[in-house]
Amino acid sequence: MKVKSSHYLKEAKPFLKELLNSLLEHYSYASILASDSKAMIYSVSKQGTVISEDDILSGRGFVAKVYDGKSYGEYSFNEITKEGIPGILNKIKYSLMPLKDYLPGGISESEYPVLPDDPKTLKESTEYIQDPEELGDEKIIALLSKLCEEGLAYNKKILDCSAGCRYQQYHKLFLSKNKDMEQNILWTNGSLMVMASRSEEIKYFFKTYSNLGGTELLGEMERDLKSVAFTALELLESEPIKPGEYDCICTPEVTGMIAHEAFGHGVEMDMFVKDRALARKYIGKYVASPLITMHDGATAAKETATYLFDDEGVLSQDTVIIEKGILKRGISDSQTAMYLSSAPTGNGRRESYERKAYTRMTNTYFEAGKDKPEDMIASVQYGFLLENARSGMEDPKNWGIQCMVNIAREIKNGKLTGRIYSPIVLTGYVPDLLKSISMISDTVELKGSGFCGKGYKEWVKVSDGGPYIKARIRLG
Amino acid sequence: MLHKILSALKQNNIATYLINDSRKETVELFFIKEHLDMKRQKEVRQYRITVYHDFEKNGVKMRGSSTVGIHCGMTDKEVEETIKKAYFAASFVCNPYYELPSGKKEEPVIIESSLSRNTLAENARKMAEALFADDSWEDTFLNSAELFVEKNSCHIINSGGIDVGYEKHTVKGEFVTQCITPQDVETYQSFSYDELDTEALRAKVKRALEMTKARAQAKSAPAAGTYTVLLSGQYVRDIFEYFLSRSSAGMVYPKYSNYRIGDRIQGGDVTGELLTITLKAKEPYSSEGIPMTHRPLLKDGVLQTIHGNSRFAYYLGLEPTGVYDSFLVPAGTKYFSEMKSGKYLHVVNFSDFQMDAFSGHFAGEIRLAFLCDGTTVTPVTGGSVNGNLLKAQKNLVFSKEMQIEKGYEGPYAVRFEEVNVAGT
Repeated sequence: MKVKSSHYLKEAKPFLKELLNSLLEHYSYASILASDSKAMIYSVSKQGTVISEDDILSGRGFVAKVYDGKSYGEYSFNEITKEGIPGILNKIKYSLMPLKDYLPGGISESEYPVLPDDPKTLKESTEYIQDPEELGDEKIIALLSKLCEEGLAYNKKILDCSAGCRYQQYHKLFLSKNKDMEQNILWTNGSLMVMASRSEEIKYFFKTYSNLGGTELLGEMERDLKSVAFTALELLESEPIKPGEYDCICTPEVTGMIAHEAFGHGVEMDMFVKDRALARKYIGKYVASPLITMHDGATAAKETATYLFDDEGVLSQDTVIIEKGILKRGISDSQTAMYLSSAPTGNGRRESYERKAYTRMTNTYFEAGKDKPEDMIASVQYGFLLENARSGMEDPKNWGIQCMVNIAREIKNGKLTGRIYSPIVLTGYVPDLLKSISMISDTVELKGSGFCGKGYKEWVKVSDGGPYIKARIRLG
Repeated sequence: MLHKILSALKQNNIATYLINDSRKETVELFFIKEHLDMKRQKEVRQYRITVYHDFEKNGVKMRGSSTVGIHCGMTDKEVEETIKKAYFAASFVCNPYYELPSGKKEEPVIIESSLSRNTLAENARKMAEALFADDSWEDTFLNSAELFVEKNSCHIINSGGIDVGYEKHTVKGEFVTQCITPQDVETYQSFSYDELDTEALRAKVKRALEMTKARAQAKSAPAAGTYTVLLSGQYVRDIFEYFLSRSSAGMVYPKYSNYRIGDRIQGGDVTGELLTITLKAKEPYSSEGIPMTHRPLLKDGVLQTIHGNSRFAYYLGLEPTGVYDSFLVPAGTKYFSEMKSGKYLHVVNFSDFQMDAFSGHFAGEIRLAFLCDGTTVTPVTGGSVNGNLLKAQKNLVFSKEMQIEKGYEGPYAVRFEEVNVAGT
């Protein structure tokens, strides 16, 4: 089934076109991004049951972007009527654009050329099997409640079992002088987290689920419940790791976190404009093992960050960032591409219509290799299997790594010993880690359950992943 | 729209509800080096409606709830349908019964602030001047900055008679400072003020410039081992926030936290400083309309308050206080110079500092630290700090020097003993 169009945007479109035409009478470039989004959160745990609309991802609103021959300005609003159009026009003319007169001494506006506006008409939707709204709140909550109860009953040491589901169905229109594009997208996430306590300290293990589609993914969660609960109990016996550099096998989700956090943020080319990314100096050079090829793009995979056009009206694509170890190119939004005289890659994304567009990742991953995970483990004399990626933070300027994982499983003489260490901090220099990759497994897995921030804000949906990789990593 | 919502609630015979009506106006400036790269303005209004559905399950009284957004442009029919669906959804939410706060109509509170005396654009200009005031060093400068000047209005109405509101101004943002010699490095900082505090922003930028210049001298990571670790700046807030999280009703009710009022939460054999924390009311009302005031959280290490919303507070038999995220801490016992005695590792900047309220674990990759071997101080970068507050809380030392950070007024620095550091 395909996601249907928004009735609201259809009704609002004539007013938006009228506003656009009025703006084009005053400005050489104008565009309007309109969005209508509904996102729901469901969760069941000992804290209680929640059914709530997600207030960050949900809403209806618009952002108008104009160019005055020198620079750009944006006005975000969420009410459009025929009578209100002159008021919006006045705000843009007499309040937004004159902000350039409020700058301190010595500060001037950047000068940009006009954005390209090639003609394009498009109307596309993604597909799903099961519509969350048709499945209904009652059945979603019943399934999550069952998972929660079964998780709690697994062992008396289990403190809580939280089961969750969220989805977003969004509709976007992009209108400019030459563009009239519409897209309708649905993604769904699931999550299981089991908590177990050791005195005051609480250990937890989680597994997440994602798709570009509907609630058909919820069936997978029941299958994994026991292993999630078992691992949470295992963590009660974990100990701190002895800091050092080790041979490590990373599971696909840890590989994804390295691809996204350690390297991906560094090729967001708005960082090139600010002189904040070391990657700019390494285009055409080896930055990773020749075994590594890395992609990013909204069409690079069918996952939660898949879309047809970005929030600046640029068609999405699949960008090969690293090819056989050599850094080929970065990803960019439209304004960045103008500054760097390059082509935009369809990576201009906004948290919502209320926020500015930045260069953002989408679906980011390393390609598969030829090895089998069991052979990779067998190749390690002493080291660790790293799993359950928790968080990471970018350092594009210096390519420092900070990633946290929940579990390091000890490997001795090619076999898992059963000893586990937690929590684990990965540090080091990104190219050192990527160049040390010596084995890559033959299948790729992506997860799109997380959100990515630019620094500590501007949250957008992303997916990342890859194969199992073998690398030398500093752990602490 | 409010009339439409009230009418739809009445039409669906919904007796118990909460309406949050919020309006936001902003002026946003985005700078790259000494250029304004983008200017933005925003004017939006949002309504969030929570409907409550009372029912019995297996003889137990339940109160389910569901929250939806009512968006500008929705027709009468859409509003009615959305609220009807939410009420139906609430019938599947099996949360034990609890009471909601009640009240009466009050005059909206205009939170007094120097920010409210100017237009948003004028405030933006003054804060931009403060941002760039000390950006005059040769090799260390402001790389980029984002400035958000906001005016927020909240109106809270519930079926128990609460009809309150407030208007609040804030200015927040972030900036990155860069030093290019002898090596190219940067420092990220964020800020948030409820006043037109140009001096605080100017001082913050200056400190960041100094820190970045120092980081440019740092080349190697500290050796792996166990250290006396000093944290300063925003990370001190992150450490105290652990105690705020553990004392929230939302963590106490499901037993994620074992805190009880009257507990000595640092244990019985504390050799360091005993904690005193006051919860600070940043807004006059919580999102449920509960009046918020300053409250003691910890006094000399003893828990005074468990804070939370009406549901968790009712379950625990406590007064609902609203959920707090700001706090005040008195000065510590040592001057910062005294805390830096002997061998220590003073971390001034992490790539990302993580404080886990469940496990007590704290960690972060070191972007800049000063390593003292007892006599010589060397800037270092790389490696990570990896500690646990459950162990460390018995032996904490805080500085007499104070600082103001987002949601925090308290000591500038904290000292921990025997913390693991991964390094070379």
